[in-house]
Amino acid sequence: MRISNELKVGLTIITATVIFILGVRYFEDLPLFATTYDLSAEFDNAGGLIPGNTVRVNGVNVGSVNEVYISTETGKVEVKFHVDRNISVTEGAYAKVSGIDALGAVRLDLYLGPLDAPRIPEGGRVAVGDGNDIFGDITARAPEMLERVSSVLDGLDTVLLETGTMLSQPESDFRSTLRSVNGSVTELQSLLAAERNRISAILQNVEEATGSLKTLTSENGPAVSKLVEDLSVTIATLDRELVGLGQASRSLNVLLDKINNGEGTLGLLVNDPSMYHKMDSTLDGINMLVLDFKTNPGKYLGEMKLVDLF
Amino acid sequence: MISVKNLYKSFSGKEVLKGVDLDILEGETLAIIGRSGSGKSVLMKHIIGLLQPDSGSIMVDGVDINKVSYADLRSIRQHFGVLFQGGALFDSMNSFENVAFPLRTFTSMSESEVQRVVLECLGMVELPDVGAKMPSELSGGMQKRVALARAVALKPRYILYDEPTSGLDPETSNTIDELIQNLADQLNVTSIVVTHDMHSVLNIADKAAFVHDGRMHWTGTIADLHASTDQVLRSFVKANEYQIGV
Amino acid sequence: MVLNPIQSMGRYSQLLFKAFGAVPEFGTYRKKLWEQMMRIGVDSMPIVMLAAAFSGAVTTVQTSYQLVSPLIPKSIIGSIVVPSMILELGAVVTGFILAGRVGARIAAELGTMRVTEQIDALEAMGLNSIGYLIVPRVIAGIVMFPVLYVAACFVGIGGGMMVGHLGGFVPIGEFVDGAREFFQPFDPIFGLIKSLVFGFTITSVSCFKGYYTAGGAEGVGRATTQAAVASCVFLLLADLILAATLL
Repeated sequence: MRISNELKVGLTIITATVIFILGVRYFEDLPLFATTYDLSAEFDNAGGLIPGNTVRVNGVNVGSVNEVYISTETGKVEVKFHVDRNISVTEGAYAKVSGIDALGAVRLDLYLGPLDAPRIPEGGRVAVGDGNDIFGDITARAPEMLERVSSVLDGLDTVLLETGTMLSQPESDFRSTLRSVNGSVTELQSLLAAERNRISAILQNVEEATGSLKTLTSENGPAVSKLVEDLSVTIATLDRELVGLGQASRSLNVLLDKINNGEGTLGLLVNDPSMYHKMDSTLDGINMLVLDFKTNPGKYLGEMKLVDLF
Repeated sequence: MISVKNLYKSFSGKEVLKGVDLDILEGETLAIIGRSGSGKSVLMKHIIGLLQPDSGSIMVDGVDINKVSYADLRSIRQHFGVLFQGGALFDSMNSFENVAFPLRTFTSMSESEVQRVVLECLGMVELPDVGAKMPSELSGGMQKRVALARAVALKPRYILYDEPTSGLDPETSNTIDELIQNLADQLNVTSIVVTHDMHSVLNIADKAAFVHDGRMHWTGTIADLHASTDQVLRSFVKANEYQIGV
Repeated sequence: MVLNPIQSMGRYSQLLFKAFGAVPEFGTYRKKLWEQMMRIGVDSMPIVMLAAAFSGAVTTVQTSYQLVSPLIPKSIIGSIVVPSMILELGAVVTGFILAGRVGARIAAELGTMRVTEQIDALEAMGLNSIGYLIVPRVIAGIVMFPVLYVAACFVGIGGGMMVGHLGGFVPIGEFVDGAREFFQPFDPIFGLIKSLVFGFTITSVSCFKGYYTAGGAEGVGRATTQAAVASCVFLLLADLILAATLL
């Protein structure tokens, strides 16, 4: 049978049309045959989301972003996207932007609402998840955390500086100073020993946080976020401890200062050079008096005479 | 009736027609003669509107073909059959399809009717069994005859022949001449034959029009042609008679 | 007769104008349209597919050759090959092949018809030769070029994927992921528009060159060469204009 031109041309055109439509759907990440439905969400910050980025539910690609633009009415970011019609996006669902902008791997994560809730209608609006994801968190809190770390280090520095000053005071009673320093060091040591567990806990937490970052793709966002919160709290605690340590050191320092300056009974008893000097000068006086008496007895005897007259 | 008045035409500054006047009466066979390059083929193309004149007019049955719309011009052209120099058969179609082409294009004939008319036309040119052959498989003379069959398929009132015998051997030329005569008699058409072949002119024409130097130098009947004392015409006729050995 | 470019443009526009006028006379060219769609579209399919498959494969190999940094994911190959194919190569490779194949053939056909007076014969019969000869070719170009473009993209991307997979440059899954990551739905639409414009450009320019052929066999040869060259030049020009206006 000879196939007519009309038939051949028609078949070619139809085939091309089908390939075109399926091809576009394939690269748009749409299911080839199932239909999709459109949704939108309003963000404060799109975090680098662009059309074509994937939409995921529990780590499964279910659609892609159609449009991202700044709404002229609200000034917020309007994100339009579509998902597979088989995905039941119900009331209570919320969307979050996640991924790393710099690596170009931004996506829209959709957290489904309860199954029995009513379905969000075609073109409807999906709520936006509260709080950003882990990376947003870190980015947002970085300055604050750095400030804290910095103040902690400052405190540590001051403590060390003061200790140094104390050690380099030459006119102090060396032994007692050393003893005091020793005591202070011991105190510091015991303090650090007490904190050791906590520090190792901190390190462990940091390690876990890093581990969490690694397993980011496994959708542990919220957990990691919590870890960062823990880390933050821990650092804050560490900060407070160090401030306490600083205060303790300062008090110690003040105490030692006082001892050095001869203030208080202990100081007067143990550490007052003027006593020695006074005793010394008294003995000297006596010595000179005796010598004077030997050379000039008359002077003293005259005096004695005067005494005799009485 | 076709009447050409004061026709001027130049190509890239070179004047080819310099005021041609010609009247062609119903039913006659007119030979337009002249040397190669004298502008007779150009004149013929003006008659069916393939070329537009710089000035002057061509009236076909009282209608100026250069003042009507393209659609009207095309319907006027359907009254013409044209035999081009090389036959101008459509080389993508076989002989049958070539002859059937105007019938299928312009009439609402059934396929069996088309078949009947095509065979009749091919019979008229004495080539009843070449229908399946492609133009490239036919000799020059046969191509011209098939082209003639195509030209007459729509039963035109005017047939224009552009050098119908040029490039053919004398015997084939005679056959073509006979065909032209027969068609003129059978179909009662007005024939306009552009040629420089005097032999053919003497065989078929009632009248002759001699184009020389872009003008209509001489017109008259064949009898007048022999009696003419015009020097230019005489030398043209003589040269041709000598050439073909009459 | 040497025509200056402005005169040529004028004659070209005049021809297009006449062709537009002839479009409603569908009966004149209906049969021819299918024939031309067959010849321009379906018959060009194998060569277009061959060229597209190779350009897709070469783009993949070259892209992976240039990606030496281990920091860049291999999926980037897909993100480069697919848009290249859809935006540029699919339409332009098809265009160049058809400028040679279809453009030259149209010019040679119409040129021969002109010098053997077949066009005059059509006109003398009372047929609209532009409607009969040019309109079906240009419409076939406009309709079939996008079809060929789709085929070229399909085969080109497929070829790129296969070579990437078989040559060990990038697994198909990663290739597709990369392509999806940067896929813009407007890209294939732009490609379709482009191929449609190319189809119109190539067929209309070639028809123009062929229809106004003069000077016997040599004239046909000249028209054929000019048609292929002019088609390519105008194709590149149209490519630039479209990219500047639509992207």
